[in-house]
Amino acid sequence: MEHNREQQKGLAVETRALTKTYKGRPAVNHLDMRVQEGAIYGFIGRNGAGKSTTLKMLCGLARPTEGEISLFGRKTSDPICARRVGCLIESAGLYPNMTARQNAVAKAKCMGLTDLSAVDRALAATGMDNTGNKKVKLFSMGMKQRLGIALALLGNPDLLILDEPINGLDPEGVREIRQLLQKLNEAGKTFIISSHILGELSKLATHYGIIKEGNLVEQMDRDTLESKCADYYCIEVDNIKRALPMITENMPEIQTEVYDNQSIRLFGLKEGSALNRLLIENGIQIYSSGFHHMDLEEYFLSRMEGNNPQTKGH
Amino acid sequence: MFNILRMDLYRLIRSKSVYICLAFLMIMSFLCFWLIWMLDTPEGRTMAAKIGISLIELENDGFSVTAAAPAAEGEILQGYDILAMFREIGMDGGAYTCILGIVVSIFVCHDYNCGFIKNILSQHRKRWKYIGSKLITAGILNLFYLALSFGFCLLLNAVFGGLVPMVDVGSILFYLGLSWLLTTAFAALFILIITLSRSTSAGILSSILLGSGIVVTVLITLTKYWGLEKWADYTLYINQTYAPSCYSGIADLKGFAVGAAFLLLYSAASFIVLNRKDI
Repeated sequence: MEHNREQQKGLAVETRALTKTYKGRPAVNHLDMRVQEGAIYGFIGRNGAGKSTTLKMLCGLARPTEGEISLFGRKTSDPICARRVGCLIESAGLYPNMTARQNAVAKAKCMGLTDLSAVDRALAATGMDNTGNKKVKLFSMGMKQRLGIALALLGNPDLLILDEPINGLDPEGVREIRQLLQKLNEAGKTFIISSHILGELSKLATHYGIIKEGNLVEQMDRDTLESKCADYYCIEVDNIKRALPMITENMPEIQTEVYDNQSIRLFGLKEGSALNRLLIENGIQIYSSGFHHMDLEEYFLSRMEGNNPQTKGH
Repeated sequence: MFNILRMDLYRLIRSKSVYICLAFLMIMSFLCFWLIWMLDTPEGRTMAAKIGISLIELENDGFSVTAAAPAAEGEILQGYDILAMFREIGMDGGAYTCILGIVVSIFVCHDYNCGFIKNILSQHRKRWKYIGSKLITAGILNLFYLALSFGFCLLLNAVFGGLVPMVDVGSILFYLGLSWLLTTAFAALFILIITLSRSTSAGILSSILLGSGIVVTVLITLTKYWGLEKWADYTLYINQTYAPSCYSGIADLKGFAVGAAFLLLYSAASFIVLNRKDI
């Protein structure tokens, strides 16, 4: 039912073979990204993986070398597109000698907004309405980020592209921003959020895209991630070379993965005592064993190392 | 484009550098009038003597320091009118262009330095609008500076007892119009340099080197060896320095043509550069 409803919604972002090269080296390589309207798309990748370059291309700040971008089914050259997108890329771009409100008014004027109450609403939503005459240069990193988000919210955009939006925020600020984004998402806004704080991202994101060396290695929704991060049994033994063939021979239906050359992860195992007994009876010493649940961070790291839990071999 | 212009003007009136440079232009004018007044009028000389200012008098075999007047009354400003005085103060030597260039450099480069350009260009994907807005802003600032500097010269002339005679309004408008176009073309050049370099230092340095004519003078000297110095007649600096003070024939419109051509050239080049570069 949920799946059908998602399919009925249009795509907020669709890229086809999106490529950006710098001096012949691809920073983004034939990226096919699809973001459903109303989704919170967590865009994950290492530093230099091509996240910011991709987001800049979506925002019109960098020109693609190849490929196409469509936002809400329209080409990015369509002026309506820009009006439907708010962005915060890398650091918040703010005039340091102006106040929070003056910065917001400057952006509102640039957007052609005549009703300045939108400025006050955006500032209030991000908790930046009480900074008075304090200049931005005196703001903390967290305050600048909040103001950056406030500027992105101006004009009531349908799609918000936020690159590391919670950088520099204190725990209370992180929670406030998370609640704000959730509230906006409930109101129908679509988000693309890139963040290295995966724990926080996993609390928000409904969809994920993992980028590695410019290639989008995986795109999935939260349910798919949950199934991929299913419980696994982790066992640490004294001799992996002997234990592994023994497990695969006796339990052919179980998927295994050697992790860090120290432990074996078993996917699909319901109960661990039979396995422990098998290994002990065959003279293999067990240092530790137990069920674990993979979180987004662990899953991301395993993908970065080239593993794919779903396609593990025996 | 006009939305960006609205934003630029909102920012311009809050920019300290605009007022600092305007104050500098006014102080420059005041000092010139004050010094001329002290040298050229009996009241001025009396005051100079009172406050202990010594005048250096050149002689055949050196110089001597004296409190006496070096010239007869009115001799220094012989043949000068208000327009010539205005030109002497800041226009002909390129001081005005340097100051305008510094303000434009600081103003435009601020967008790049603080990253606000991301907010602008994410909303306006046709980048010519950004360049267009900056050029119009520079033109408005230039008009404001020229009008205020000239107005201040008129005020100072009145305050110092009419040191120089007035000229006809037509000549004033002709000269100010020509200067506006040439210095706006200079501003377009500085915008191009900033678009290329994204550096305030590069903008300020080029404002000083190009605005004061150092670069053109060096190039004229070099090309003179091959008798190729005629190219300089079509530079902004030479047209600014030797601009006619009144319209006396079609040849006097050359400066307008040069200014318009360079304004278009630099604007187009800025657009091409900005369009090709990522933010």
